[in-house]
Amino acid sequence: MVARCSRDSWGEAAGVAAQAQTIRDRAVVLAHTDGKVWEDALAALGNAQAKDASDARRDFALEQKLERAAAAPLEIAELGADVAALAALAGERGEGTYRADASAAAALAAGAARAAAHLVQVNLGVRPGDERLARARASQHAADDAAARLLGPTR
Amino acid sequence: MSRLSILPDAELVERCRAGESDAWNELVERYSRYVYAIAVRGFRLSEEDAEDVFQDVFTRAFMRLETLRDASALRPWLAQLTRRRCLDAISGGGREQAVDDVLADEGSADMEELEEAFAVREAVAGLSEACQDILDRFFAQDQSYRTISDELDIPAGTIASRIARCLRKLRNELEANN
Repeated sequence: MVARCSRDSWGEAAGVAAQAQTIRDRAVVLAHTDGKVWEDALAALGNAQAKDASDARRDFALEQKLERAAAAPLEIAELGADVAALAALAGERGEGTYRADASAAAALAAGAARAAAHLVQVNLGVRPGDERLARARASQHAADDAAARLLGPTR
Repeated sequence: MSRLSILPDAELVERCRAGESDAWNELVERYSRYVYAIAVRGFRLSEEDAEDVFQDVFTRAFMRLETLRDASALRPWLAQLTRRRCLDAISGGGREQAVDDVLADEGSADMEELEEAFAVREAVAGLSEACQDILDRFFAQDQSYRTISDELDIPAGTIASRIARCLRKLRNELEANN
């Protein structure tokens, strides 16, 4: 919205608006995917707990589902960082009238990145030191830094 | 990206006429998806019929390339050949769908979208390799700014601006082509 309203004064506004639209479309798909893979993982966990005996095939299937359940929030964390970066750019270079809207968008995106990184962390398939966790945290920090450019430090 | 892939259509056609087989391969590569898409999306042909149309269109194009008056009008010429061949396939195949219906469909949103997609593709081909690469990564491969930054070794904070500038060049290219 900030970019769309800044087209008269900012040459890159249309390109930034196009990127925002693309990221929004991706986020909608990812949100659905995240819900679905999480439900699948929960069902698989319940199934594994209901049966005592170890079953290699079932354990492998459970592991795969947990992997997928961690992959979706990791992508959401990266999207959050992208949204925060776009919002920071729009806030700094777009019409000053809309800077507060850009700041709000950056703060929300940083919150989403933090929440998603937390979901990666608590996934049972992700161990401390896992590269996915490091990437999710890096996205969270990138989103925080982008939001801080408009709002001031948040951590 | 090959040397031939950056040639404009007119020059590609001239090289095909001169008998360069690599140029012909490039022409087929450049327009294969276009011809196939007209058959499948524009005329709703089955994959099998679309394959027949595809083979026939490029055979005819090869045989009749000398008759193309304006070498830069390759795309509309191929589109016309494809449309005629699709209509032949429908009227000769005893289809339930009447040719009139197909002709009405031909101006449909799908066809417009198809034309627009190929116009964009042509315009993208006119951009620098760096712009083509970054637009492809963001819009086609769904890469995040961080992934683009890591793989291209450019600061993450500049990615969005670079993409925006490339999009502006793309718009200029599209306007120039139209």
